[in-house]
Amino acid sequence: MTTYAERPAITLPTQGLKSTRKGHAFVKWVTTTDHKRIGYMYLITTFAWFLIAGFLALLLRSELARPGLQFLSNEQYNQIFTMHGTIMLLLFATPLFVGFANVIMPLQIGAADVAFPRLNMLSYWLYLFSGIMVFAGFLTPGGAASFGWTAYAPLSSSEYSPGIGADLWIVGLAVGGIGTILGAVNFITTIFTMRAPGMTMFRMSIFSWNVLLTSILVLLAFPPLAVAFLGLESDRLYGTHLFDPANGGAMLWQHLFWFFGHPEVYILALPFFGIATEILPVFSRKPIFGYKGLIAATIAIAALSVSVWAHHMFASGQVLLPFFSFMTFLIGVPTGVKFFNWIGTMWRGHVTFETPMLWVMGFLVTFLFGGLTGIILASPPLDFAVSASYFVVAHFHYVLFGTVVFAMFAGFYFWWPKMTGRMLNERLGKIHFWTLFFGFHLTFLIQHWLGIKGFPRRYADYLPTDGFTFMNTVSTIGSFLLALSMIPFFINVWITRKSPLVNVDDPWGYGSSLEWATSCPPPRHNFTSMPRISSERPAFDLHHPHIKTEGH
Amino acid sequence: MSARNKRSLSLAAMVVPAVLLLTGCSKVSGLGFEEGITSVNDESLSLWQGAWIAAGVVGVITFILIIWPAIFHRLKKDSPEFPKQTQYNIPVEILYTVIPFVIVAALFVYTLQTQNVITAKTTGPAHEISVEGFQWSWQFGYSEAGPDALVTGTPAQPPTLYLPQGEKVRFTLNSNDVVHGFWIPAFMIQMQNLPGVTNKLEFTANKLGTYPGRCNILCGRNHTQMLFSVKVVTPSEYESYLETLKASTV
Amino acid sequence: MKTNWMLFAGLSIFYAIITIVYWQVDGEALGITGLLLSAGLAGMIGFYVWFTQKRIGTTLPEDNTVAEIADGAGELGFFSPHSWWPLPTGMSAVATGLGLIIGWWFTLIAISALVICVIGWVTEYEKPLSSSQH
Repeated sequence: MTTYAERPAITLPTQGLKSTRKGHAFVKWVTTTDHKRIGYMYLITTFAWFLIAGFLALLLRSELARPGLQFLSNEQYNQIFTMHGTIMLLLFATPLFVGFANVIMPLQIGAADVAFPRLNMLSYWLYLFSGIMVFAGFLTPGGAASFGWTAYAPLSSSEYSPGIGADLWIVGLAVGGIGTILGAVNFITTIFTMRAPGMTMFRMSIFSWNVLLTSILVLLAFPPLAVAFLGLESDRLYGTHLFDPANGGAMLWQHLFWFFGHPEVYILALPFFGIATEILPVFSRKPIFGYKGLIAATIAIAALSVSVWAHHMFASGQVLLPFFSFMTFLIGVPTGVKFFNWIGTMWRGHVTFETPMLWVMGFLVTFLFGGLTGIILASPPLDFAVSASYFVVAHFHYVLFGTVVFAMFAGFYFWWPKMTGRMLNERLGKIHFWTLFFGFHLTFLIQHWLGIKGFPRRYADYLPTDGFTFMNTVSTIGSFLLALSMIPFFINVWITRKSPLVNVDDPWGYGSSLEWATSCPPPRHNFTSMPRISSERPAFDLHHPHIKTEGH
Repeated sequence: MSARNKRSLSLAAMVVPAVLLLTGCSKVSGLGFEEGITSVNDESLSLWQGAWIAAGVVGVITFILIIWPAIFHRLKKDSPEFPKQTQYNIPVEILYTVIPFVIVAALFVYTLQTQNVITAKTTGPAHEISVEGFQWSWQFGYSEAGPDALVTGTPAQPPTLYLPQGEKVRFTLNSNDVVHGFWIPAFMIQMQNLPGVTNKLEFTANKLGTYPGRCNILCGRNHTQMLFSVKVVTPSEYESYLETLKASTV
Repeated sequence: MKTNWMLFAGLSIFYAIITIVYWQVDGEALGITGLLLSAGLAGMIGFYVWFTQKRIGTTLPEDNTVAEIADGAGELGFFSPHSWWPLPTGMSAVATGLGLIIGWWFTLIAISALVICVIGWVTEYEKPLSSSQH
C-alpha cells in the first residue's frame, strides 16, 4: 500500500546500532516518525506533568488546610500555584490533545500517517525541552515564575518580578507554543489531504472533526500568545515599553493574553468532548445522535470562542460589558446543544457500563455543573460578586478537570487495547473512577461556597477568624483522596502489562470509527486492508453489516 | 404508640424541619449574599437568585436526562442485540437549540438591566473617596476632608474604609504599581486598580456594620496580606470621622 | 474539498462581521486588530483551499460518497521511515530561545546549529550528487 524509497547510497545511522536491545529501543523511539509512537510519547510525558502539577496542588492544599503559613512562604506559594496552573494548562492538557490526536486521528480518517511526520516529531521535542526549561525556574536562585499563569503586566515585568525563573518561563512557553502551532498545521493538512477514499468530511468521526476545529483555534490563538510573551520578554531584557502601564500596558496585556486565553480553554475542551462523543455510541450500541448538529455546534463554538475573551476582564472596568456578556451567553447555547446530543445518543440505547462509559458519565455530570456556573459568571453583575475568588477556581476546575481528566481516562481505558493490544482491568478501573470522582467533588464542590463567602484566589493563607477554615480543610481532604485515586490506575497499568493480547480489531464489539477496523495495535502504516466507507461508522458497518446506518 | 401520638409525631416531623428551614430562609434565599447591604445588593441579589434558580432547574432536568438512560435504558438480559438506530430527530434538535437560546436571552436582558444600574456613572452630589492600591496595602483619600486626608494601611495594619450609611459614594480607583483588585465580598462588587488608568465605581452602603475587604488580583509576594476593613457608619459619625482626618492633617 | 474551503470562508466571514460589530460599539484597538487578523488568517487559508480545489477540478476519492477503497490504490506518498533530524532541530530551537536569556554568544551557536539542522533535515532524502545525470 505504501511505498517509500530507502536509498541504499545513504548510510542509515541506525545500521550500526543494532547491538544492544536497550540502545536499539531508545534509538527507535528517539528517531521515530510514526504518529502512533509520537502520540505515545506525548501521552506519557503529559501524564508525568499531570502528576507533577498534581503534587504541586497537594502542596497548595496542604498549606491551605489550616490558617497560618505552616510550611510555605508567601513567595513559594506564589511560585507553586503559578507552576501548577502553567503545567496543567500548557504542559499537560494542551499537549494531551496533541497526543490523542496523534494516536487516533490518522487511524480514524484512514491515513497512513500524518502529513509531516518529521515535523510531528519536532513538535514533540519543542514541547519536551521547552517544558523542562519552564520548570527549570525552580532551580534558579530566585525560584520559578510567581506571577500566576496569567502573568499580568506590570507584575510580570523585570521591575516587579526580577529573576531568571520568569524569563525561562516566558521564553519556554513561547517556544513550546510554536511546537503546538506546528502540530495544528500538521493535523489540518492531514485531515484535508489524507483521508481514505469515501471518507468524506461528513463521514469523519466527531473526534477528528474536533481535532480539526481545535487546530484552527490553535492557529488563531497561539500567535497572539507568542506575541505577548515575546513582547514581555523584550520589555524585560531590552527595556522596551510595550507593556508599560503609562502606555496602557496593563490593559493591553490583559486583552492580548485573554485573546489567546479564551480560545485556549476551548482548545482544551473540544478534543475531549470529541473523546466522549466517540465512546457514547459504542456503549449505547446506537449511532451518535444528531451527528450534523454536533458538527454545527462545534463550529459555532470555534467561531464564537474568538469573540468572548474579555469576559475574563469584566472586573477591570475597561471592557464592553454588554458585547462580551452577550457573546458569552451565546456560546453557552451550542455547548448546551452538545449535551443533548450526548444524552440523545444514550437515549433508548442498550447502555452498558464498562469503564470508558463510566468515565464519560463522570465527565457529563461534572461538566454540566461547571458549565452552569459559567453561565452565572457570564453575567457581569454576578461576576462582580465572585470574580477572582474561589468560586472561579471551582468553576474552572469543574469544567477543565471535568472535561480533560475524565475524558482523558475515558480515552485511556477505551483505546488502551488499540494502543497496546491488551485490555486494562475493569474492576480496578471502576475503583479508580469512583475514588477519583468522590475525591474531585469533595475537593472542589465546597470551593464554590468558599468563594461566595469571600475567599480570594491565589491567597496563601487566611485568618482563623475568617470562617474559611472548615471549608478549606474539607477541600484538602478531598484533594488527598483525589491523589490516592491514581494508585489503582498505576496498579492497573502494571498488572495488565503481560495480560493476554486481544487479537481482535474491536474488543469492545461495537466500535464505529475506522480505528476499530485494523489490528490492536495497528501495523506501522495503520492499515493492511480497509473496509468500504459508506457512513460515519465504517468499522461498525464492517462488523455488523445487517444493521443499516443511514449514509451521508 | 397510640394513633394520636403517631399523628403528633408525624406532624412534628414535618413542622420542625420546616420551621428550621424557614428561620434560615433569609440567609438561604440569599444563597450566600444578604439583601439591603448596599445599592449593589439591591440590584444584583435578585439576578443572583434568579440565575441560580434557572441554573438549578436546567441542571436538575439535564441531570435527570443523563441519569435516566443510565438506569432505564441499560442493556437487559432479554433485549435484542441492537436498539433502534436513531441518528437524528430534527424537531427535538431544534427544540433543544431554541430553549437554551431563550433562557440565555432572558438572562442577558436581566443582566443588562442590573448592569446598567450598577455601572451607572452619575454626576450629582456624592462623597468622593479615592482608593489607591499599592504593594501591599491600600490608601484611602477622603477629598471632602482635604487633599491630605489620606489613610494608609500596611500588611500588618490593614486600613479601615469608612462609608456613610445611605449616602452615595463615588470611588476613584488607581494603582501605584501593579494591578490590584478592590473587592468587598459582602457588597457583591469589585473593580481592578489599574496603574496608568483611573477606574470609577459608585454605590451606596445601606447597612451599618463592619465588612472585610480584600485584594483579589495577584499583586506579588504579600497579596494575601493586602486586606482592608469597610465600616459603614451613620452620616453624622462619618462627618466626625472626616473632621478627625481634617484635624490630623493640619 | 467544498466543505473544507467553505468551513474557512464561513469562519472568516463570521470573524469579519464580529470585527465590524466590535469596532462599531467602540471596542478597543487590540480586539479589533485581533479579530481582523483572525478573519484574514481564516480567509487566506480558505482562499488557498478553494483555489487548490479549483485547480484539481475533479472529485477526489476521499470526497466521493460512493468511492471504493481501490480508488485510492497506488503510492500514497513518501513517509520518512525514521529520522535523527527532529531531535537536534528541536534542541537548537529551544537553545535559541534560551540564548535570549543566557547571552548573544549562546544564541549565535544555537542559531548556527539550527541552520545546520534545517539544511540536514531538508536534504535528508535528496539523491546524492554522484548518482544524478548531468
